[in-house]
Amino acid sequence: MKQKTLLFGALGMLVVLILFMVKDLFLSSPEPGNNPWKYDLETMKQADTMKPAYTMVKAIPSGLQGLVAIATGPGDRIYTTGAGGAEIYDSACRLLLRFDFEDTAYALTVDSTGNLWMSMGDHVEVWNKTGKKLQTLKSAGRGSLITSLALTGSSLLIADAGLKVVYHYDHMGNMINRIGEKDPVRKVPGFVIPGPWFDLAVSPDGSLWIANPGRHELEQYRFDGQRLLSWGKPGIGIPEFCGCCNPSHFTFLPDGSFVTSEKGIERIKVYNPRGKFSAVVALPGDFDEGTRGLDLATDSRGRILVVDPVRKQIRIFVKRSTTSNN
Amino acid sequence: MPNRREFLTTLFRAAFLTGLGVLGGAMVLRKGKPGECGFGFDCAHCGEADKCVIPHPFESRQMVWQLDPSLCTHCGQCATACVMTPSAVKCVHVYAMCGYCDLCGGYFKPGTKTLDTAAENQLCPTNAIKRKFVEEPFFEYTIDESLCIGCGKCVKGCDAFGNGSLQLQVRHDRCKNCNQCAIARICPSGAYRKVPARHPSLLRGFEQKPKNGDFTQSQENR
Repeated sequence: MKQKTLLFGALGMLVVLILFMVKDLFLSSPEPGNNPWKYDLETMKQADTMKPAYTMVKAIPSGLQGLVAIATGPGDRIYTTGAGGAEIYDSACRLLLRFDFEDTAYALTVDSTGNLWMSMGDHVEVWNKTGKKLQTLKSAGRGSLITSLALTGSSLLIADAGLKVVYHYDHMGNMINRIGEKDPVRKVPGFVIPGPWFDLAVSPDGSLWIANPGRHELEQYRFDGQRLLSWGKPGIGIPEFCGCCNPSHFTFLPDGSFVTSEKGIERIKVYNPRGKFSAVVALPGDFDEGTRGLDLATDSRGRILVVDPVRKQIRIFVKRSTTSNN
Repeated sequence: MPNRREFLTTLFRAAFLTGLGVLGGAMVLRKGKPGECGFGFDCAHCGEADKCVIPHPFESRQMVWQLDPSLCTHCGQCATACVMTPSAVKCVHVYAMCGYCDLCGGYFKPGTKTLDTAAENQLCPTNAIKRKFVEEPFFEYTIDESLCIGCGKCVKGCDAFGNGSLQLQVRHDRCKNCNQCAIARICPSGAYRKVPARHPSLLRGFEQKPKNGDFTQSQENR
Protein backbone atom coordinates (compact mmCIF):
# COMPACT_ATOMS: atom_id res chain seq x y z
CA MET A 1 0.00 0.00 0.00
CA LYS A 2 2.81 2.35 0.92
CA GLN A 3 4.65 1.56 -2.30
CA LYS A 4 1.47 2.20 -4.27
CA THR A 5 1.09 5.62 -2.68
CA LEU A 6 4.69 6.43 -3.46
CA LEU A 7 4.20 5.39 -7.05
CA PHE A 8 1.06 7.51 -7.43
CA GLY A 9 2.84 10.43 -5.80
CA ALA A 10 5.84 10.10 -8.12
CA LEU A 11 3.56 9.81 -11.11
CA GLY A 12 1.63 12.88 -10.06
CA MET A 13 4.85 14.85 -9.64
CA LEU A 14 5.98 13.69 -13.08
CA VAL A 15 2.76 14.91 -14.68
CA VAL A 16 3.03 18.24 -12.84
CA LEU A 17 6.63 18.55 -14.02
CA ILE A 18 5.64 17.82 -17.61
CA LEU A 19 2.83 20.36 -17.45
CA PHE A 20 5.15 22.98 -15.99
CA MET A 21 7.73 22.35 -18.73
CA VAL A 22 5.08 22.54 -21.43
CA LYS A 23 3.76 25.84 -20.04
CA ASP A 24 7.22 27.27 -19.64
CA LEU A 25 8.42 26.20 -23.07
CA PHE A 26 5.41 26.73 -25.26
CA LEU A 27 2.59 28.61 -23.60
CA SER A 28 4.26 31.46 -21.79
CA SER A 29 6.33 34.38 -22.96
CA PRO A 30 8.38 36.20 -20.37
CA GLU A 31 7.78 39.87 -19.87
CA PRO A 32 10.48 42.02 -21.45
CA GLY A 33 12.50 43.86 -18.85
CA ASN A 34 13.45 47.50 -18.66
CA ASN A 35 15.78 48.81 -21.30
CA PRO A 36 18.85 50.30 -19.67
CA TRP A 37 19.95 51.74 -23.02
CA LYS A 38 16.65 53.36 -23.91
CA TYR A 39 16.94 56.13 -26.48
CA ASP A 40 13.97 58.29 -25.61
CA LEU A 41 13.03 60.25 -28.68
CA GLU A 42 9.63 61.11 -27.26
CA THR A 43 11.08 63.21 -24.45
CA MET A 44 13.21 65.03 -26.97
CA LYS A 45 10.21 65.74 -29.16
CA GLN A 46 8.19 67.03 -26.21
CA ALA A 47 10.93 69.58 -25.56
CA ASP A 48 9.45 71.55 -28.45
CA THR A 49 7.04 73.52 -26.34
CA MET A 50 6.53 76.49 -28.64
CA LYS A 51 2.89 76.98 -29.46
CA PRO A 52 2.13 76.58 -33.15
CA ALA A 53 0.95 79.72 -34.90
CA TYR A 54 -1.06 77.56 -37.27
CA THR A 55 -3.92 75.18 -36.74
CA MET A 56 -5.21 72.31 -38.83
CA VAL A 57 -8.60 73.04 -40.32
CA LYS A 58 -9.10 70.04 -42.54
CA ALA A 59 -7.76 66.54 -43.15
CA ILE A 60 -8.77 65.06 -46.49
CA PRO A 61 -8.52 61.27 -46.61
CA SER A 62 -6.84 60.24 -49.84
CA GLY A 63 -7.93 57.29 -51.90
CA LEU A 64 -4.41 56.69 -53.14
CA GLN A 65 -2.55 53.63 -51.88
CA GLY A 66 0.57 55.57 -51.03
CA LEU A 67 0.42 59.32 -50.77
CA VAL A 68 3.69 60.96 -51.80
CA ALA A 69 3.52 64.39 -53.40
CA ILE A 70 1.29 67.44 -53.44
CA ALA A 71 1.03 70.63 -55.48
CA THR A 72 -1.45 73.39 -56.06
CA GLY A 73 -2.52 74.61 -59.47
CA PRO A 74 -4.78 77.16 -61.18
CA GLY A 75 -7.78 78.16 -59.08
CA ASP A 76 -6.04 76.78 -55.97
CA ARG A 77 -6.87 73.27 -57.04
CA ILE A 78 -5.07 70.61 -55.04
CA TYR A 79 -3.18 67.86 -56.87
CA THR A 80 -1.77 64.77 -55.16
CA THR A 81 0.05 61.73 -56.43
CA GLY A 82 1.53 58.58 -55.05
CA ALA A 83 1.54 54.88 -55.75
CA GLY A 84 -0.46 54.10 -58.84
CA GLY A 85 -2.52 57.25 -59.29
CA ALA A 86 -3.27 60.92 -58.88
CA GLU A 87 -6.13 62.94 -57.46
CA ILE A 88 -7.38 66.44 -58.16
CA TYR A 89 -9.46 68.40 -55.65
CA ASP A 90 -11.01 71.82 -55.97
CA SER A 91 -10.10 74.58 -53.51
CA ALA A 92 -12.97 73.50 -51.26
CA CYS A 93 -11.39 70.03 -51.07
CA ARG A 94 -14.03 68.26 -53.18
CA LEU A 95 -12.62 65.43 -55.26
CA LEU A 96 -12.84 66.28 -58.97
CA LEU A 97 -10.89 63.46 -60.56
CA ARG A 98 -8.87 60.40 -59.73
CA PHE A 99 -6.90 58.53 -62.37
CA ASP A 100 -4.58 55.58 -62.25
CA PHE A 101 -1.22 54.69 -63.69
CA GLU A 102 1.14 51.80 -63.11
CA ASP A 103 4.13 53.45 -61.45
CA THR A 104 4.66 55.51 -58.34
CA ALA A 105 4.95 59.25 -58.80
CA TYR A 106 7.68 60.59 -56.52
CA ALA A 107 7.30 64.29 -57.25
CA LEU A 108 4.72 66.60 -58.75
CA THR A 109 4.33 70.09 -60.09
CA VAL A 110 1.46 71.65 -62.00
CA ASP A 111 1.71 74.11 -64.89
CA SER A 112 -0.53 77.09 -65.63
CA THR A 113 -2.91 74.98 -67.75
CA GLY A 114 -3.40 72.41 -65.01
CA ASN A 115 -1.22 69.69 -66.52
CA LEU A 116 0.56 67.44 -64.06
CA TRP A 117 4.34 67.01 -64.37
CA MET A 118 5.27 63.93 -62.38
CA SER A 119 8.49 62.14 -61.56
CA MET A 120 8.18 58.42 -62.20
CA GLY A 121 11.51 57.66 -60.55
CA ASP A 122 14.11 58.21 -63.25
CA HIS A 123 12.04 60.19 -65.74
CA VAL A 124 9.30 62.82 -65.94
CA GLU A 125 5.86 62.32 -67.43
CA VAL A 126 3.29 64.97 -68.29
CA TRP A 127 -0.40 64.13 -67.86
CA ASN A 128 -3.30 66.42 -68.54
CA LYS A 129 -6.04 67.24 -66.07
CA THR A 130 -8.32 64.55 -67.49
CA GLY A 131 -5.83 61.80 -66.80
CA LYS A 132 -4.29 61.35 -70.27
CA LYS A 133 -0.54 61.02 -70.74
CA LEU A 134 0.82 63.76 -73.00
CA GLN A 135 4.58 63.44 -72.91
CA THR A 136 7.43 61.36 -71.50
CA LEU A 137 10.77 63.01 -70.98
CA LYS A 138 14.01 61.08 -71.43
CA SER A 139 15.43 59.35 -68.36
CA ALA A 140 18.25 61.16 -66.60
CA GLY A 141 20.25 57.93 -66.42
CA ARG A 142 20.98 54.89 -64.31
CA GLY A 143 20.70 55.54 -60.59
CA SER A 144 18.50 58.56 -61.05
CA LEU A 145 15.73 59.25 -58.51
CA ILE A 146 13.85 62.45 -59.20
CA THR A 147 12.38 63.76 -55.95
CA SER A 148 11.32 67.29 -56.83
CA LEU A 149 10.14 69.30 -59.82
CA ALA A 150 9.50 72.99 -60.45
CA LEU A 151 8.33 74.93 -63.47
CA THR A 152 8.96 78.52 -64.46
CA GLY A 153 8.00 80.34 -67.65
CA SER A 154 10.45 78.44 -69.85
CA SER A 155 12.34 76.15 -67.49
CA LEU A 156 11.81 72.81 -65.85
CA LEU A 157 13.96 72.21 -62.78
CA ILE A 158 14.53 68.63 -61.68
CA ALA A 159 16.09 67.60 -58.37
CA ASP A 160 17.74 64.19 -58.71
CA ALA A 161 18.50 62.64 -55.31
CA GLY A 162 20.06 59.58 -56.91
CA LEU A 163 22.64 61.47 -58.95
CA LYS A 164 22.83 64.40 -56.48
CA VAL A 165 22.33 67.14 -59.03
CA VAL A 166 19.67 69.54 -60.29
CA TYR A 167 18.89 69.52 -64.01
CA HIS A 168 17.74 72.61 -65.83
CA TYR A 169 15.58 71.64 -68.84
CA ASP A 170 13.34 73.50 -71.22
CA HIS A 171 9.71 72.46 -71.41
CA MET A 172 10.41 70.14 -74.35
CA GLY A 173 12.82 68.10 -72.29
CA ASN A 174 16.09 69.47 -73.68
CA MET A 175 18.75 69.90 -71.04
CA ILE A 176 20.14 73.40 -70.67
CA ASN A 177 22.61 72.92 -67.83
CA ARG A 178 23.30 71.11 -64.55
CA ILE A 179 23.18 72.95 -61.25
CA GLY A 180 24.90 72.29 -57.94
CA GLU A 181 27.72 69.95 -58.93
CA LYS A 182 30.80 70.36 -56.79
CA ASP A 183 32.93 73.12 -58.30
CA PRO A 184 35.61 74.75 -56.13
CA VAL A 185 36.25 77.44 -58.76
CA ARG A 186 32.67 78.70 -58.62
CA LYS A 187 32.53 78.02 -54.87
CA VAL A 188 29.80 75.41 -55.25
CA PRO A 189 30.26 72.88 -52.42
CA GLY A 190 28.00 70.23 -53.99
CA PHE A 191 24.90 68.62 -52.60
CA VAL A 192 25.06 66.17 -49.71
CA ILE A 193 22.08 63.87 -50.08
CA PRO A 194 22.20 61.05 -47.53
CA GLY A 195 18.69 59.78 -48.31
CA PRO A 196 15.95 60.15 -50.90
CA TRP A 197 15.01 63.64 -49.68
CA PHE A 198 16.04 66.40 -52.04
CA ASP A 199 13.70 69.28 -52.71
CA LEU A 200 13.73 72.47 -54.74
CA ALA A 201 11.30 75.30 -55.31
CA VAL A 202 11.04 78.59 -57.14
CA SER A 203 10.12 81.53 -54.91
CA PRO A 204 7.34 84.01 -55.80
CA ASP A 205 10.03 86.46 -56.98
CA GLY A 206 11.36 83.83 -59.40
CA SER A 207 14.57 82.79 -57.65
CA LEU A 208 15.65 79.17 -57.46
CA TRP A 209 16.16 77.61 -54.03
CA ILE A 210 17.49 74.11 -53.50
CA ALA A 211 17.69 72.16 -50.24
CA ASN A 212 21.09 70.80 -49.31
CA PRO A 213 19.84 68.41 -46.61
CA GLY A 214 23.22 66.94 -45.62
CA ARG A 215 24.43 70.45 -44.84
CA HIS A 216 21.08 71.48 -43.29
CA GLU A 217 20.88 74.45 -45.60
CA LEU A 218 18.68 76.02 -48.23
CA GLU A 219 20.78 77.42 -51.06
CA GLN A 220 19.88 80.00 -53.68
CA TYR A 221 21.19 79.52 -57.22
CA ARG A 222 21.01 81.42 -60.46
CA PHE A 223 19.62 79.41 -63.33
CA ASP A 224 23.10 79.31 -64.88
CA GLY A 225 24.33 77.38 -61.81
CA GLN A 226 25.98 80.22 -59.89
CA ARG A 227 25.48 79.76 -56.15
CA LEU A 228 24.33 82.99 -54.54
CA LEU A 229 23.63 82.48 -50.86
CA SER A 230 22.46 80.00 -48.25
CA TRP A 231 20.97 79.82 -44.79
CA GLY A 232 20.18 77.16 -42.17
CA LYS A 233 22.10 75.35 -39.46
CA PRO A 234 21.94 71.93 -37.80
CA GLY A 235 20.54 71.34 -34.33
CA ILE A 236 17.49 70.09 -32.48
CA GLY A 237 16.29 73.56 -31.43
CA ILE A 238 13.18 74.79 -33.19
CA PRO A 239 14.90 77.33 -35.44
CA GLU A 240 17.42 74.70 -36.60
CA PHE A 241 17.21 71.62 -38.79
CA CYS A 242 17.58 68.30 -36.94
CA GLY A 243 19.04 64.92 -37.86
CA CYS A 244 21.37 64.04 -40.69
CA CYS A 245 19.32 65.30 -43.61
CA ASN A 246 16.81 68.06 -43.23
CA PRO A 247 14.79 69.95 -44.35
CA SER A 248 13.27 67.08 -46.26
CA HIS A 249 10.76 69.34 -48.05
CA PHE A 250 10.10 73.04 -48.43
CA THR A 251 7.93 75.46 -50.33
CA PHE A 252 7.02 79.16 -50.33
CA LEU A 253 4.11 81.17 -49.00
CA PRO A 254 2.77 83.93 -51.27
CA ASP A 255 4.79 86.55 -49.32
CA GLY A 256 8.05 84.69 -50.06
CA SER A 257 8.37 83.06 -46.62
CA PHE A 258 9.81 79.55 -46.52
CA VAL A 259 7.78 76.63 -45.19
CA THR A 260 9.94 73.65 -44.24
CA SER A 261 9.23 70.12 -43.04
CA GLU A 262 11.57 67.75 -41.25
CA LYS A 263 11.79 64.04 -40.51
CA GLY A 264 13.18 62.48 -37.34
CA ILE A 265 11.61 65.18 -35.22
CA GLU A 266 8.53 65.69 -37.33
CA ARG A 267 7.84 69.40 -37.52
CA ILE A 268 6.80 72.07 -39.96
CA LYS A 269 8.02 75.63 -39.61
CA VAL A 270 7.90 78.98 -41.35
CA TYR A 271 10.94 81.18 -41.95
CA ASN A 272 10.76 84.72 -43.30
CA PRO A 273 12.17 85.45 -46.80
CA ARG A 274 15.59 86.18 -45.25
CA GLY A 275 15.70 82.76 -43.58
CA LYS A 276 14.90 83.89 -40.07
CA PHE A 277 12.65 81.59 -38.07
CA SER A 278 9.17 83.02 -37.78
CA ALA A 279 6.53 80.44 -36.73
CA VAL A 280 5.72 76.82 -35.98
CA VAL A 281 3.06 75.17 -38.09
CA ALA A 282 3.04 71.66 -36.62
CA LEU A 283 5.04 69.73 -34.01
CA PRO A 284 5.79 66.02 -33.50
CA GLY A 285 2.59 65.58 -31.49
CA ASP A 286 0.61 66.30 -34.64
CA PHE A 287 2.04 63.25 -36.44
CA ASP A 288 2.39 59.53 -35.87
CA GLU A 289 5.84 58.44 -34.76
CA GLY A 290 8.19 57.83 -37.66
CA THR A 291 6.23 59.89 -40.15
CA ARG A 292 8.44 61.03 -42.99
CA GLY A 293 7.82 62.43 -46.43
CA LEU A 294 5.79 65.48 -45.36
CA ASP A 295 5.58 67.08 -48.78
CA LEU A 296 4.31 70.65 -48.76
CA ALA A 297 2.32 73.02 -50.92
CA THR A 298 0.70 76.39 -50.39
CA ASP A 299 -2.16 78.19 -52.08
CA SER A 300 -2.91 81.81 -52.86
CA ARG A 301 -4.70 82.24 -49.52
CA GLY A 302 -1.59 81.25 -47.59
CA ARG A 303 -2.95 77.87 -46.53
CA ILE A 304 -0.28 75.22 -45.99
CA LEU A 305 -1.11 71.81 -47.41
CA VAL A 306 0.77 68.83 -46.05
CA VAL A 307 0.91 65.25 -47.25
CA ASP A 308 0.76 62.83 -44.33
CA PRO A 309 1.74 59.48 -45.86
CA VAL A 310 1.15 57.51 -42.66
CA ARG A 311 -2.41 58.69 -42.07
CA LYS A 312 -2.96 58.92 -45.86
CA GLN A 313 -4.37 62.40 -45.54
CA ILE A 314 -3.92 65.83 -47.03
CA ARG A 315 -3.83 68.09 -44.01
CA ILE A 316 -4.53 71.79 -44.33
CA PHE A 317 -3.11 74.29 -41.86
CA VAL A 318 -4.04 77.96 -41.61
CA LYS A 319 -2.75 80.76 -39.45
CA ARG A 320 -4.65 80.94 -36.17
CA SER A 321 -5.84 84.49 -36.71
CA THR A 322 -7.33 83.54 -40.08
CA THR A 323 -9.03 80.32 -38.93
CA SER A 324 -12.48 81.90 -38.99
CA ASN A 325 -12.08 82.88 -42.63
CA ASN A 326 -11.48 79.30 -43.78
CA MET B 1 2.15 -10.40 -8.01
CA PRO B 2 1.21 -10.62 -11.70
CA ASN B 3 -1.59 -8.15 -10.94
CA ARG B 4 0.82 -5.62 -9.52
CA ARG B 5 3.13 -5.97 -12.53
CA GLU B 6 0.19 -5.58 -14.85
CA PHE B 7 -1.00 -2.57 -12.87
CA LEU B 8 2.42 -0.89 -13.05
CA THR B 9 2.74 -1.56 -16.78
CA THR B 10 -0.67 -0.02 -17.41
CA LEU B 11 0.18 2.91 -15.16
CA PHE B 12 3.43 3.71 -16.99
CA ARG B 13 1.76 3.33 -20.35
CA ALA B 14 -1.00 5.68 -19.27
CA ALA B 15 1.54 8.22 -17.95
CA PHE B 16 3.57 8.02 -21.13
CA LEU B 17 0.54 8.49 -23.33
CA THR B 18 -0.73 11.38 -21.19
CA GLY B 19 2.63 13.13 -21.43
CA LEU B 20 2.77 12.53 -25.14
CA GLY B 21 -0.77 13.88 -25.56
CA VAL B 22 -0.03 17.02 -23.56
CA LEU B 23 3.16 17.68 -25.51
CA GLY B 24 1.44 17.06 -28.81
CA GLY B 25 -1.45 19.34 -27.88
CA ALA B 26 0.90 22.10 -26.84
CA MET B 27 2.82 21.82 -30.09
CA VAL B 28 -0.36 22.10 -32.13
CA LEU B 29 -1.62 25.07 -30.09
CA ARG B 30 1.72 26.80 -30.25
CA LYS B 31 1.37 30.32 -31.64
CA GLY B 32 3.07 31.03 -34.94
CA LYS B 33 3.29 33.93 -37.34
CA PRO B 34 0.82 33.97 -40.20
CA GLY B 35 2.04 31.85 -43.04
CA GLU B 36 4.88 30.50 -41.02
CA CYS B 37 3.88 27.44 -39.04
CA GLY B 38 7.40 26.58 -38.02
CA PHE B 39 7.15 22.98 -39.17
CA GLY B 40 6.95 23.36 -42.91
CA PHE B 41 3.24 22.60 -43.10
CA ASP B 42 2.57 25.86 -44.92
CA CYS B 43 4.79 25.08 -47.90
CA ALA B 44 3.06 26.34 -51.01
CA HIS B 45 5.47 24.46 -53.31
CA CYS B 46 6.13 27.68 -55.15
CA GLY B 47 9.41 26.37 -56.51
CA GLU B 48 11.38 29.33 -55.16
CA ALA B 49 13.35 27.42 -52.57
CA ASP B 50 16.13 30.00 -52.52
CA LYS B 51 13.78 32.70 -51.27
CA CYS B 52 11.87 30.47 -48.87
CA VAL B 53 11.79 31.55 -45.25
CA ILE B 54 9.54 28.73 -44.06
CA PRO B 55 11.63 26.07 -42.34
CA HIS B 56 11.44 22.71 -44.02
CA PRO B 57 10.98 19.81 -41.57
CA PHE B 58 13.98 17.97 -42.94
CA GLU B 59 16.21 21.02 -43.08
CA SER B 60 15.96 22.07 -39.46
CA ARG B 61 19.70 21.82 -38.97
CA GLN B 62 20.30 24.27 -41.77
CA MET B 63 18.06 26.95 -40.25
CA VAL B 64 19.43 29.81 -38.22
CA TRP B 65 17.84 32.60 -36.20
CA GLN B 66 17.77 36.04 -37.71
CA LEU B 67 16.26 39.40 -36.92
CA ASP B 68 14.18 41.25 -39.47
CA PRO B 69 15.25 44.93 -39.29
CA SER B 70 12.01 46.11 -40.87
CA LEU B 71 10.11 44.81 -37.81
CA CYS B 72 12.67 45.79 -35.17
CA THR B 73 11.59 48.47 -32.67
CA HIS B 74 15.04 48.88 -31.06
CA CYS B 75 13.69 47.94 -27.63
CA GLY B 76 17.10 46.91 -26.29
CA GLN B 77 16.07 43.34 -25.37
CA CYS B 78 18.61 41.85 -27.81
CA ALA B 79 21.37 43.08 -25.51
CA THR B 80 19.98 41.55 -22.34
CA ALA B 81 18.03 38.44 -23.32
CA CYS B 82 20.65 36.58 -25.34
CA VAL B 83 22.29 33.60 -23.61
CA MET B 84 25.63 34.91 -24.85
CA THR B 85 27.48 37.69 -23.04
CA PRO B 86 27.84 40.03 -24.83
CA SER B 87 24.88 39.33 -27.06
CA ALA B 88 25.28 37.58 -30.41
CA VAL B 89 23.21 40.37 -31.91
CA LYS B 90 25.36 43.17 -33.29
CA CYS B 91 24.89 46.37 -35.19
CA VAL B 92 25.69 45.90 -38.88
CA HIS B 93 26.41 48.80 -41.17
CA VAL B 94 24.92 48.66 -44.67
CA TYR B 95 27.49 50.90 -46.33
CA ALA B 96 25.60 51.06 -49.61
CA MET B 97 22.78 52.91 -47.84
CA CYS B 98 24.89 55.16 -45.63
CA GLY B 99 24.99 58.88 -46.33
CA TYR B 100 28.44 59.22 -44.67
CA CYS B 101 27.03 62.21 -42.81
CA ASP B 102 29.06 64.53 -40.64
CA LEU B 103 26.12 64.84 -38.24
CA CYS B 104 25.28 61.14 -37.92
CA GLY B 105 22.10 60.39 -35.97
CA GLY B 106 23.46 56.98 -35.04
CA TYR B 107 26.78 58.28 -33.74
CA PHE B 108 26.04 61.57 -31.98
CA LYS B 109 23.80 62.29 -29.05
CA PRO B 110 21.09 64.76 -29.97
CA GLY B 111 22.03 68.33 -29.19
CA THR B 112 25.76 67.69 -29.40
CA LYS B 113 27.52 71.03 -29.70
CA THR B 114 30.73 69.92 -31.39
CA LEU B 115 30.87 67.15 -33.95
CA ASP B 116 33.94 65.32 -32.68
CA THR B 117 34.74 61.94 -31.20
CA ALA B 118 34.62 63.04 -27.56
CA ALA B 119 33.02 60.33 -25.41
CA GLU B 120 30.31 62.64 -24.11
CA ASN B 121 29.12 63.26 -27.67
CA GLN B 122 28.71 59.61 -28.57
CA LEU B 123 25.40 57.82 -28.47
CA CYS B 124 26.94 54.34 -28.25
CA PRO B 125 27.33 53.33 -24.58
CA THR B 126 30.39 51.19 -25.37
CA ASN B 127 32.19 53.34 -27.95
CA ALA B 128 31.71 50.60 -30.53
CA ILE B 129 31.27 52.95 -33.52
CA LYS B 130 34.42 54.36 -35.06
CA ARG B 131 34.24 57.62 -37.01
CA LYS B 132 36.80 58.34 -39.70
CA PHE B 133 37.11 61.38 -41.96
CA VAL B 134 36.87 60.53 -45.66
CA GLU B 135 36.64 63.88 -47.45
CA GLU B 136 34.77 67.09 -46.80
CA PRO B 137 32.01 66.70 -45.59
CA PHE B 138 31.90 62.90 -45.44
CA PHE B 139 32.70 60.55 -42.56
CA GLU B 140 32.80 56.77 -42.48
CA TYR B 141 31.38 54.84 -39.54
CA THR B 142 32.49 51.30 -38.75
CA ILE B 143 31.30 48.95 -36.03
CA ASP B 144 33.76 47.29 -33.65
CA GLU B 145 31.85 44.08 -33.04
CA SER B 146 34.01 43.14 -30.09
CA LEU B 147 32.57 46.16 -28.26
CA CYS B 148 29.03 46.16 -29.65
CA ILE B 149 26.45 44.78 -27.21
CA GLY B 150 23.48 44.93 -29.59
CA CYS B 151 21.50 47.51 -27.62
CA GLY B 152 20.21 49.11 -30.82
CA LYS B 153 20.56 52.68 -29.60
CA CYS B 154 22.51 53.73 -32.69
CA VAL B 155 20.06 51.85 -34.89
CA LYS B 156 17.16 53.85 -33.47
CA GLY B 157 19.06 57.10 -33.99
CA CYS B 158 19.96 56.22 -37.56
CA ASP B 159 16.42 55.10 -38.31
CA ALA B 160 14.87 58.28 -36.93
CA PHE B 161 17.28 60.88 -38.24
CA GLY B 162 19.15 59.10 -41.02
CA ASN B 163 18.18 56.55 -43.62
CA GLY B 164 18.40 53.34 -41.59
CA SER B 165 21.79 52.06 -42.72
CA LEU B 166 22.61 50.84 -39.20
CA GLN B 167 20.71 47.62 -38.57
CA LEU B 168 20.74 44.87 -35.96
CA GLN B 169 21.58 41.35 -37.07
CA VAL B 170 22.31 38.02 -35.38
CA ARG B 171 25.99 37.26 -36.02
CA HIS B 172 26.25 33.58 -36.71
CA ASP B 173 29.91 33.30 -35.77
CA ARG B 174 28.76 34.03 -32.21
CA CYS B 175 25.17 32.75 -32.10
CA LYS B 176 24.65 29.34 -30.46
CA ASN B 177 21.54 28.87 -32.58
CA CYS B 178 19.50 27.68 -29.61
CA ASN B 179 16.51 25.54 -30.41
CA GLN B 180 14.33 28.23 -28.86
CA CYS B 181 16.07 31.60 -29.10
CA ALA B 182 15.81 33.45 -25.80
CA ILE B 183 15.50 36.81 -27.56
CA ALA B 184 12.88 35.56 -29.99
CA ARG B 185 10.72 34.53 -27.03
CA ILE B 186 10.50 38.06 -25.65
CA CYS B 187 10.87 40.12 -28.82
CA PRO B 188 7.86 42.48 -28.61
CA SER B 189 7.57 42.90 -32.36
CA GLY B 190 8.09 39.27 -33.39
CA ALA B 191 11.08 40.29 -35.46
CA TYR B 192 12.93 36.98 -35.04
CA ARG B 193 12.48 34.05 -37.32
CA LYS B 194 14.46 31.13 -38.62
CA VAL B 195 16.00 31.54 -42.03
CA PRO B 196 17.93 29.12 -44.22
CA ALA B 197 21.62 29.11 -43.30
CA ARG B 198 22.47 29.63 -46.96
CA HIS B 199 20.75 33.07 -46.72
CA PRO B 200 21.49 34.01 -43.13
CA SER B 201 21.00 37.80 -43.37
CA LEU B 202 17.81 39.83 -43.41
CA LEU B 203 19.28 43.22 -44.17
CA ARG B 204 16.97 45.95 -45.32
CA GLY B 205 18.60 47.65 -48.24
CA PHE B 206 19.05 48.55 -51.83
CA GLU B 207 18.70 45.07 -53.22
CA GLN B 208 15.07 44.73 -52.18
CA LYS B 209 12.40 45.65 -54.69
CA PRO B 210 9.85 48.30 -53.72
CA LYS B 211 6.54 46.91 -52.55
CA ASN B 212 3.65 48.12 -54.63
CA GLY B 213 1.82 50.87 -52.83
CA ASP B 214 4.36 51.25 -50.09
CA PHE B 215 6.32 54.30 -51.02
CA THR B 216 8.10 54.72 -47.70
CA GLN B 217 9.45 51.21 -47.97
CA SER B 218 10.49 51.66 -51.56
CA GLN B 219 12.17 54.99 -50.89
CA GLU B 220 14.15 53.58 -48.03
CA ASN B 221 15.23 50.68 -50.15
CA ARG B 222 16.60 52.70 -52.97
